Amino acid sequence: MTVCIAEMPSYTYAVKGEKLLRARGYPCEIKRNERPGGGCGFSLIIKGGCPEALDILRAYSVPYTNVRGGGTDDAGKL
Amino acid sequence: MMPVNFDNAATTFPKPECVRRAAADAVRQLGGNAGRGGHALAMKSSAAVYSARETAATFFGAQPENTVFTLNCTHALNMAVQGIMRGGGHMIISCLEHNSVARPAAALASSGRVSLSVAKVYPDDDKTVESFRHLIRRDTKAIVSTLASNVTGQLLPWKRIGELCKENGICFIADGAQACGVVDVKLSDGINILCTAGHKGLYGLTGTGLLISDGRYPIEPIIQGGTGTASADLEQPLLLPEALESGTLNIPGIMSLKAGIEFVSRLGTERIFRHETGICRRFINELVNLPGVTVLRDSTASYVPIVSFTIDGIAPEKAAAKLSEAGYCLRAGYHCAALSHTCLGTENGTIRFAPSVFSRESDAAALADEIKKLLRD
Repeated sequence: MTVCIAEMPSYTYAVKGEKLLRARGYPCEIKRNERPGGGCGFSLIIKGGCPEALDILRAYSVPYTNVRGGGTDDAGKL
Repeated sequence: MMPVNFDNAATTFPKPECVRRAAADAVRQLGGNAGRGGHALAMKSSAAVYSARETAATFFGAQPENTVFTLNCTHALNMAVQGIMRGGGHMIISCLEHNSVARPAAALASSGRVSLSVAKVYPDDDKTVESFRHLIRRDTKAIVSTLASNVTGQLLPWKRIGELCKENGICFIADGAQACGVVDVKLSDGINILCTAGHKGLYGLTGTGLLISDGRYPIEPIIQGGTGTASADLEQPLLLPEALESGTLNIPGIMSLKAGIEFVSRLGTERIFRHETGICRRFINELVNLPGVTVLRDSTASYVPIVSFTIDGIAPEKAAAKLSEAGYCLRAGYHCAALSHTCLGTENGTIRFAPSVFSRESDAAALADEIKKLLRD
């Protein structure tokens, strides 16, 4: 299972993204950003199906700022 | 003996048990700062606030990310009016606006950046809509209108004003302070930005309000500060809702507001309106034929459950003080709406009767008896 981390612009959008993905069978959870230098923020840890999950976020206009891991690129990021 | 509150247009009291419990639970259990950390307490508060956002958004037909918690309706209206008009242009307000609209509008106008027109409101909705239409110019950026007057309770034709705005590409900012919770208000009524109090018809605690946007018109923040987002950047983030929520949120207040909205949803606005309107009708029937008493109602207009009246020869403040001694709480004076009194011709202000869902018709009748005594003395 590939895990990717989508950095979200706010807690609000992190929850919105989490709810959208969970409702569609993509396990994910919200974590506080741990990357130094990025400032306060939250990430969505998506556990599997990252490219499709990110497509869903884009389709619902849920912005994200950066994606790490999961063999994804940053296309569609905020 | 507990006084009888007929000043619910200022703030509703008593609050429902579920609201009191929600606030108390929040104080006990939601000790973390929402959106400000990743530890268990902060995450629990953040989740609770998001859930309140969803409740408010669903109630008004909006999206949670466009639902902003504010301190009160004035705070929301200032953010909306100043945030939309910051770049200048022309704005129209109604003549029945509360000072929460009239003062920021006047301040913008006196700064020279904004030109301001005031649309007269008539009992006839057609004439009111024409009054707004007539004032629209090429550079009109916003129409700001109350949904219902806080002085007389008159409902404005807001869906038609919304249509007018849409036809002309104008942002419609609505003040829902007296309408939300007693009539069904949705963003789909043509409202671009809805501002309302949380502590009136939505039964939350004081210190709560909402700004709800449809996302069409960007609102420039008038307050900058910590948002819990993009904190390495010195520029204020522009993404709602956090862009307009700098500083720590009133979490017990927000949870009380969630409970209040759920309370109103369970009862239904139609039922609440019917109950309170019935009490107003009884009160008006008691007053209407009394010599020297003028009830500020027009049979051709529609009203939320608010009744303003005057008594010849007795100043509103004096009448309210006498009624307070008898155990009844009513607001008197200008009700922070100076423009309205110019429009209505009530230069000495009015006495305002405003029931809530907890009010009783028998109390309204007893109050009317006190007013009759006042007339005799």
